[in-house]
Amino acid sequence: MADSPSIRLDFRKSLGSFTLEVNCTLETKVSAFLGVSGSGKSTLLNCVSGTLTPDEGEIAFGDEILYASASKINLPPEKRRFGYVFQEGYLFPHLTVAQNIRYGQPNPRTSSDVIDVLEISELLQRYPKELSGGQRQRVAIARALAMEPRMLLMDEPLAALDSALKGRIIPYLHHIKEAFETPILYVTHTFSEAMALADEAFLIADGEIMASGEPHQLLTAPAAMPIAQLTGVENILFLPVVASDKARGLTSLEIGDQSLVIPYIEAEVGEVVPVAIRAEDIIISLDPNLTISARNILLGKIRDLDIRSERTWLSILVERYHLAVKITHQAREELQLKENLEVYCVIKASAINRLWD
Amino acid sequence: MRITPAEVAALSLSIKVALLSLVIILPPGLLVGWLLAKRTFPGKAFLNTFVMWPLVLPPIVSGYLLLILLGKHGFIGGFIHQVFGIEIVFSQLAVVIAVSIISFPLLVRGIVTGMEAVPQELENAARTLGASPLKVFWTITFPLAYRGIIGGTILGFSKSLGEFGATIMVAGNIPGKTQTMALAIFSAVHLGEDASVYRLVFISTVVAFIALWLTERFTLR
Repeated sequence: MADSPSIRLDFRKSLGSFTLEVNCTLETKVSAFLGVSGSGKSTLLNCVSGTLTPDEGEIAFGDEILYASASKINLPPEKRRFGYVFQEGYLFPHLTVAQNIRYGQPNPRTSSDVIDVLEISELLQRYPKELSGGQRQRVAIARALAMEPRMLLMDEPLAALDSALKGRIIPYLHHIKEAFETPILYVTHTFSEAMALADEAFLIADGEIMASGEPHQLLTAPAAMPIAQLTGVENILFLPVVASDKARGLTSLEIGDQSLVIPYIEAEVGEVVPVAIRAEDIIISLDPNLTISARNILLGKIRDLDIRSERTWLSILVERYHLAVKITHQAREELQLKENLEVYCVIKASAINRLWD
Repeated sequence: MRITPAEVAALSLSIKVALLSLVIILPPGLLVGWLLAKRTFPGKAFLNTFVMWPLVLPPIVSGYLLLILLGKHGFIGGFIHQVFGIEIVFSQLAVVIAVSIISFPLLVRGIVTGMEAVPQELENAARTLGASPLKVFWTITFPLAYRGIIGGTILGFSKSLGEFGATIMVAGNIPGKTQTMALAIFSAVHLGEDASVYRLVFISTVVAFIALWLTERFTLR
């Protein structure tokens, strides 16, 4: 996505004793705001959508000013054309799925595309209360996308779902990123989602942006610790299948020039599958010639490390993928790990889960 | 059981007045209900107090105030008398006005309760999908507050059917003209016409029951 307009946020909003103050420009296709609850993420999104009015400052989308306190401009939400996906979905309970999707008066082609991508064609005649949590969230995403928004605002779209359901929705989000041109502003409290989906992330704490960069770079930023500690970090990768061996119960995925062996899955060669590996399930070794049962020994390079909390967090570049790894300080000291050191990531096949199903 | 023409007149006046006052107060009721449930503005507490006033005021007092206001020398009544040559007090119009004022707070209460239960987030979601505030009202707030609105309507309608104090003050108790069911019962009791009392009481009870039952059926689908 080359030239989607950038969005400029430069405003202040106080709610009681809490103050949100941001000044940033979002230029990538998917930008994430990452923070714990109460950090001001939702307030930020509401100000962008126009459902909340900042106290002062300016919000602009490309050349168009959406809000400016100086010139008293404040475009109402219905004129901004930003699709908003809420944590709780907020489907209209008295309307069917089809009517919910039609509410934004989409063009029929777009809505049928959206219905295909999110696989909800069987649900169209149902009412929201007849849907499962995951289905509801897919419909909410479809409703926002169908109106052909200039931008998609997503407020923790996965937070209300259990982890199995999250795994089911993430591939859809990834698919949306690929299939539609719409830039996305994604708000989350988990590194996993930010790393899986966002091109750029902003760490937000107490109403302020503490750091910004590619999501994996933020993992080792000082303000990241509370977030990583709170939710843990799962590395989510989208990798194509190279070979599948049902007899041995293993499937190989391509990770750059190396391969990643996972428990057997039903999938075509070439199909891209999402997999998750927890940061603490990756073992670091300096020696590739290990006689061990783990199926994966991947060469990578330490890009960054953070030693401030009770564990060491590493950001390791394997081919073009960044893996978050959590080890003990003791291990780091014994192995004398430091930036730019080449290491091997040892991962058991069974520690890798396919998301979905 | 033979119903006298006077009793029929009282019954039909009561129903006519209750329905008419409903038609009159429903639009402002929806507007005021929406304002109180969904908006913040200076003077909101005052508006709420003003609208609810007749609920806590003895109806006879409301009626007396109306009598002063609408009388030939009153602030409003005088004006109307001069411009249109109409006298409001002791007319059917006075019955409608009295009944409307008294039942308005009950209608608004129901509407406010219904609308307050519609999450702001749903309305915000509709706004982000391109709906103007008016479209949000008709497509989201109104249908979702439906039960509250129906509830307020029943309460208001029942209150209108049985209103006594304000009506007798401002409209009098003229058989065939301003005598509603409640007033007819009062007169019959006063005159010791027991048979008439029983008939009117029976009819009132049945009418109230049917109104309630119909709306229950209607809202439960």
